[in-house]
Amino acid sequence: MFGEQQRFVLLLIAPAALLLLLFQVVPIVIGANASFRDWALYNPKKTWIGFDHYVAVITDPAFLYVVLPNTFLFMVLSVAGALVAGLALALLLNRPFRGQKLVQTILLVPLMVAPVIAAIMIRWIFNDQFGIVNVVLEAIGLEGQPWLVQRWSAFGIILLTDIWLWTPWFTLLLLAGLQSLPKEPFEAAAIDGTTTWRVFRYLTLPMLRPVIVVCVVIRAIDAFRTFDIVWTLTGGGPGRSTELFSLYAYVHAFLNLDLGRGSAAAIIGGLVILVIGVVLYRLVDRIAKA
Amino acid sequence: MRPAARFAAGFPKTGNRFDSGEAMAAISLSKLNKHYGSLFHAVKDVDLEIADKEFVALVGPSGCGKSTTLRMIAGLEDITSGDIRIGNKVVNHLPPRDRDVAMVFQNYALYQHMSVYDNLAFGLRNKKTPEAEIRTAIDRAAGMLGLHDLLQRKPKQLSGGQQQRVALGRCIVRNPQVFLFDEPLSNLDAKLRAQMRIEIKRLHAEIPTTSVFVTHDQVEAMTLGDRVVIMRDGRIQQIGTPLQVYGKPANKFVAGFIGAPAMNFIDVNVRSAAGVTSVEAEGLRLTIGPADAAALAIHSGRRVIMGMRPEHLSLGAGAPGLGFDAHVEVVEQLGSEILLETRVGNASITAARVPAETAIARGDQVRLSAQAGRLHFFDPETELPIS
Repeated sequence: MFGEQQRFVLLLIAPAALLLLLFQVVPIVIGANASFRDWALYNPKKTWIGFDHYVAVITDPAFLYVVLPNTFLFMVLSVAGALVAGLALALLLNRPFRGQKLVQTILLVPLMVAPVIAAIMIRWIFNDQFGIVNVVLEAIGLEGQPWLVQRWSAFGIILLTDIWLWTPWFTLLLLAGLQSLPKEPFEAAAIDGTTTWRVFRYLTLPMLRPVIVVCVVIRAIDAFRTFDIVWTLTGGGPGRSTELFSLYAYVHAFLNLDLGRGSAAAIIGGLVILVIGVVLYRLVDRIAKA
Repeated sequence: MRPAARFAAGFPKTGNRFDSGEAMAAISLSKLNKHYGSLFHAVKDVDLEIADKEFVALVGPSGCGKSTTLRMIAGLEDITSGDIRIGNKVVNHLPPRDRDVAMVFQNYALYQHMSVYDNLAFGLRNKKTPEAEIRTAIDRAAGMLGLHDLLQRKPKQLSGGQQQRVALGRCIVRNPQVFLFDEPLSNLDAKLRAQMRIEIKRLHAEIPTTSVFVTHDQVEAMTLGDRVVIMRDGRIQQIGTPLQVYGKPANKFVAGFIGAPAMNFIDVNVRSAAGVTSVEAEGLRLTIGPADAAALAIHSGRRVIMGMRPEHLSLGAGAPGLGFDAHVEVVEQLGSEILLETRVGNASITAARVPAETAIARGDQVRLSAQAGRLHFFDPETELPIS
């Protein structure tokens, strides 16, 4: 049926394909199946109920007016913030200075911290009674704030944490991108009397665009499914005001033990991210070809 | 209207330097040095005066410091010591943008994401030149370089030759004091290179601007340069017009570097007896004319290096005392002439200018003769000419 070469190729792919099947495809199928059933841990009959869960999720005001906006806001701001900070640092590191290598290494530290641990650190820093931030504020005569129990300050801290965690990743990739740019156009621009701003605006940015876009796509998809730092910092609170999409699915499935509802939410999220992914990849393609 | 005339009428408001009588753009390098770290001394004590509107070609093998010298003039490399003056102004520490130079790079260095038009306009927009003037300037440059149909294209869609023309145009529209060329033709194929050479020569005639042209190709250097500067290991070997460096090479290196095919070098012994000076090698004995004899006489009994250009060897007996027998090893038929690779004793000697129709084959024995007064002699130790 297959030639020798094809059989060999199939043999090589087989282990990866098997793993993918067992740990990706099968769970998705099980999850998809669950999303169409009334499947709660206390009600194991698994009655087929069609799209009821989907309708419930989509019409859930908490999902529509809190979780979804939160998720998108978080995705956009986190990616934008880390991109801007990362690009600035990459530009800084792209010019040689004393101790450049040392600074470069130190800047990578956040990448080596597990997000959960980072979140615990940040939670303590912003703790309203024992946190260093409030101590400092009170020492200089300002009033300490209950940072993590107010919606927008909590959301801001989540954002800050995520940006802090991901800036080095952007820096690393953008720096690699910067260093791979050809030198001559910049030399030509220097001779042409181009100001630093114009070099950045008309040369660096456009030439770096393919790298930026790929970074943004990868990070945007990744940010959409952020769970750990939010869970650790606020648990979605105060109330449900900082709940992101993955928390929503998690709470339904594993706290409320409504596996059907949780699965439906997860599948909806999967579809949303699929659409976003396709759109972003189209964009990458267009920009790469431009 | 001829392009030159159209161009001379151009740049009404930006002010044409040649009309407004601005400072002359002579370039002067004195005791110029460049070290990379403590180990590599790339440019050593370079002294060079380039006159206003002169076209100077810097030539030498790779790593001889010619590009570094050019980049120091441009301001892209710091100088370690020495002085660079452009138009009587010391520019040692001026950034490139304040030197009023334009540069063409080997790999074009175009802004890939911009259209040809925007590439040409970029330098002028840096200076906040009004768009209407930019359009006029680009229109003229595009006319000279035949770029009109390409203005809306991106560099990627152009051939190498077209890209290099755009790079030339980018320099022309800025109307700078000095043009710098860093091996601009090296990435082009041979035919295109010859075309672009003529194009550059024509441009320089139409817009006379002080130009420094770096190349490793001696043909480019000879054909383009008003003067040729030959460099090796960071030092200038000779500065002169093409005829001077060809006819009176300053040392053995220059003699071998300039001219194609390269000069033949043969170790010979000088013999001076009864008022007749001759040089001898295995299978070869030439009588030296009075012009060279005087200088050679003092080397009598010693070994010197004789240089014979392939194009100064001809087939046949020739003048008495200047002929020798050679064994043909390779026959290269060029259509217009034949190149002969021959063996004379231990030496291999190339002869050019053998008429293409000559019946000759590998293994033949031929008589070659040198031209009187066209022989070069070098001291084997100093490699300086004996004269």
